[in-house]
Amino acid sequence: MTATVPAVSETLAADLARASFTLAQRFSAGATLWCVAPAFPQHAEHIAVEFVHPVIVGKRALPAAALTGPDLVGQVRVSARAGDVLVAVADAADAEVGSIMRRARAWGVTTLWLGHGPRPEPGAADHVLWLEDTDPLLPATGQFVLLYHLLWELTHVCFEHPGLLAAHADECTADVCITCSDEGRPAEVIGTGADGTATVRTPDGTETILTTLTGPLRPGDLVLVHAGLAIATVEA
Amino acid sequence: MGGEATDFLYPFIEGNETGVDALLEDLAGSALAKAAESAALRRATVAACEPLIATAAAELARRFDAGGRMFTFGNGGSATDAATLAGLFARPPVGEPLPAWSLAAEQAVLTALGNDVGFELVFARQLIARGRPGDIAVAMSTSGSSADLLAALAEARRRGMYTVGFAGYDGGRFADNPDVDVCFTVESQSVHRIQETQALLGYRLWAAVHANRRPEGARA
Repeated sequence: MTATVPAVSETLAADLARASFTLAQRFSAGATLWCVAPAFPQHAEHIAVEFVHPVIVGKRALPAAALTGPDLVGQVRVSARAGDVLVAVADAADAEVGSIMRRARAWGVTTLWLGHGPRPEPGAADHVLWLEDTDPLLPATGQFVLLYHLLWELTHVCFEHPGLLAAHADECTADVCITCSDEGRPAEVIGTGADGTATVRTPDGTETILTTLTGPLRPGDLVLVHAGLAIATVEA
Repeated sequence: MGGEATDFLYPFIEGNETGVDALLEDLAGSALAKAAESAALRRATVAACEPLIATAAAELARRFDAGGRMFTFGNGGSATDAATLAGLFARPPVGEPLPAWSLAAEQAVLTALGNDVGFELVFARQLIARGRPGDIAVAMSTSGSSADLLAALAEARRRGMYTVGFAGYDGGRFADNPDVDVCFTVESQSVHRIQETQALLGYRLWAAVHANRRPEGARA
């Protein structure tokens, strides 16, 4: 029978655990949770109300908001700040959500992608919470509702362990720090100058960079920045 | 976790990797247990509600065949679940679309009524304006006792609409209510598990309505 077998595999349970822990860490550091679901805006709204107005008396209200309607890329861009979290409920093929996910790296926003059917490509989001079932009716059977209820419930369990939520995840412990190495940092172009420069948004703020290597850029382009130079454009 | 008697001397020990791993393991186990609980409740409730689904689906199909429309409503998460149900009827990924709307969808109407006549009447007043005798009203609630939903169901009854209630716990005031033709009660104490099961019941109702519809040429 559709949707009555346990939908949560051990892998998905582990993914939910990690996503909830990250979300609790982010909330503890002051994050807002932004919720989008282009094809099912009611799911975005349901997630937001879970966090803002908990069904269990005594659980804390947390900042969350659903963004619905046209131009979700623009809505998330103007709403989300570095350190915030975005959760999307959408198929892997959703172009608008794919674009938001890629830009989120430049915005410094942690991403959760919840859906079913074919999975997004590896690394498409920081946390992928996925049901393998391809039934197009699945979004109306309560399975997504179960997943985001679990996300809320586990996140609140994490708040019972404040000592574990301290900022360890943000510490740079690798031998080579990505910020200081030869790797490019993601940035989104917000303006261009006539002198071969561009203004970009990065997780650390706004920077002016040289576009000598990439050629002319346009607002909304995604680039990799190294040493004040745009070294490549990437799919936006 | 360490759990050594001297841990209190070293509060930072809580923040170590072992603690995080143990917590993640607990969380994953909890997710599996809750998902299994949800699945068991869905199975039991769908089995118990099968006859009621058949009864309601036959009447809904008859009304849709005759040009009836559906209005769904609820509060909070149940408002969004009611919107999912209306969306399933009106924009199904497969099958024929049927006229259905969520009454929480319009911010102007909702806030105008809430401000001018009180929140208890936000759905009832919309049914006064839009509801007709052949239509269908669907109220989704976990308590089964929300005042605005009870007022809307009473208004729907007055207007000759067919009324369907979704409730949790023991059914609340939706149960044994003359204003409610069919009440689907999810017997659980958890708001979350109730909502997950109500969504499945709504999906089953939708599927049964389509199984009950008459061929296009044979409709009233």
